[in-house]
Amino acid sequence: MSAATVRRLIVIVLIALWEILPRAGVIPTLFLPSLSSTLIAGWNEAGEYGHALAVTLYEVAISMVFACGGGILLGAIVGSLPRPRVLIMPMVSSLYAVPLVILYPVFTVWLGIGTESKIAFASIYGFLPTMLATAAGIQTIDPQLLLAARSMGATLSQRLIRVIIPAAIPTVLSGLRVGGALVIVGVVVSEMLISSAGIGYLISRYRTILDSPHVFAGVLLVLAMAIAFNAAIKWIERKAAIWQTGSRAGQRAADEITAGAVQPAT
Amino acid sequence: MQPLANITPLKPAGAIEVRNVGQIFEMKTQTVVALEDVSLDIKPGRFVVLVGPSGCGKSTLLMMMAGLREQTSGTITISGVPIPKPDPNRVGVVFQEASLFPWLTAEENVEFPLALRGVPKSDRRAKAQDALKLVGLDGFGKRHPHELSGGMKQRVSIARGLVQDPPVLLMDEPFAALDEQTRMTMGDELLRIWAATGKTVVFVTHSLTEAVYLADEVIVMSPRPGRIVDHLQVTLPRPRTYEMLSGDAFGVLRDRIWRHIRKSA
Repeated sequence: MSAATVRRLIVIVLIALWEILPRAGVIPTLFLPSLSSTLIAGWNEAGEYGHALAVTLYEVAISMVFACGGGILLGAIVGSLPRPRVLIMPMVSSLYAVPLVILYPVFTVWLGIGTESKIAFASIYGFLPTMLATAAGIQTIDPQLLLAARSMGATLSQRLIRVIIPAAIPTVLSGLRVGGALVIVGVVVSEMLISSAGIGYLISRYRTILDSPHVFAGVLLVLAMAIAFNAAIKWIERKAAIWQTGSRAGQRAADEITAGAVQPAT
Repeated sequence: MQPLANITPLKPAGAIEVRNVGQIFEMKTQTVVALEDVSLDIKPGRFVVLVGPSGCGKSTLLMMMAGLREQTSGTITISGVPIPKPDPNRVGVVFQEASLFPWLTAEENVEFPLALRGVPKSDRRAKAQDALKLVGLDGFGKRHPHELSGGMKQRVSIARGLVQDPPVLLMDEPFAALDEQTRMTMGDELLRIWAATGKTVVFVTHSLTEAVYLADEVIVMSPRPGRIVDHLQVTLPRPRTYEMLSGDAFGVLRDRIWRHIRKSA
């Protein structure tokens, strides 16, 4: 059996268990309501969940723009200039280790409990890994490529657009993957803490009245959001960075040639 | 006013003149003389190899000829005109690592220098096709570098260096990363391309065998400070063949270079 088949099987088994175990009474429905009751609960309150999803998606979208846009821009500057790198990078790296959620209560004092405080928190939360990855991506560009471009008469701006940016794309994307996931975490967590709208808020509210099916309906929505985001990033990675699949393919080409599959050329 | 480039150079296209070139690196604790009073005349269409131990400045000298590095003193002219910055119309450069852009296809890599100068797409494609055909890679244009073997990558790199048809091709240890068999094949291929195009080639290498096998002239350099210690004419007939490697004439030349290098290393 291939790994993909096994993976699919595991998911199917988990889903089946989710339905069977609570129904059989093995797990109390307060802890884990069955999948069907969760879906029905979500369906019955579709309007409420739809509205909450809209609020959350809006906050996520705006935070993404700040986190990723700002992270890439600042990462590019910090990565390409040695002086700011020395000054800023150690600070950003250690800041990355701080649980930033401690700042969220402060943000609610400054910005209120509406969308602004969520956007501010999630933006900062997702900004750090994006910036770190971009800076690393720019820093690790093969200097030979830049030298080659210069030997062909490339100006500074041509080197930036035609060499530095495409060369940095794979690392930037891996930063976006982490940063984007943290944006989603940031928005949902802040909604759960102090808020009046959004999926996190719904989950938290239904939990206080011990309505497990509705709690899990919200959890499912967050799960779907994260999976969709991951799929989107994967799609972009495939589009933008086919060349990343390094030396193994080169070896394959060499094998093909020695096997006489293609016209020989060393 | 007449632009400078339109003045007919006194030297024919492809001539390289190096006059009293020196290069000094100022470090924190010491001053390193990388090149000292290097002078050299290379006639158009010659195949000249620079050899010498690490640190003798042969790559530095090549980078100066490419306009990629500025000398501390002296002058370098290509086709009679100084080369203060890279000029792909006069000089093509091939590096040790193929340094192809991994996100572009072979074809697009070869087109790159043309794209920088805004040459229309169809012209670019046609020129890239010609260059790829010249290096024996007809039909491989749509592949990405990771789908090519080491030797094929260097072929693409040579095609890229030649695509603007410069009279001079500078090569910085282009085959150093290749395995022995591929290296021999690529040497023969390079000689074929050179014979077909009549370029002036300046080729840097560590390999004495490669130097004698390829060259019309071998320039031997020594380090600390980097300077020229010998200038050999290789009079072996062309085309060069594998059998010459074991001949007396070949051995005599290789020994002479080796004696210089052993002394300085």
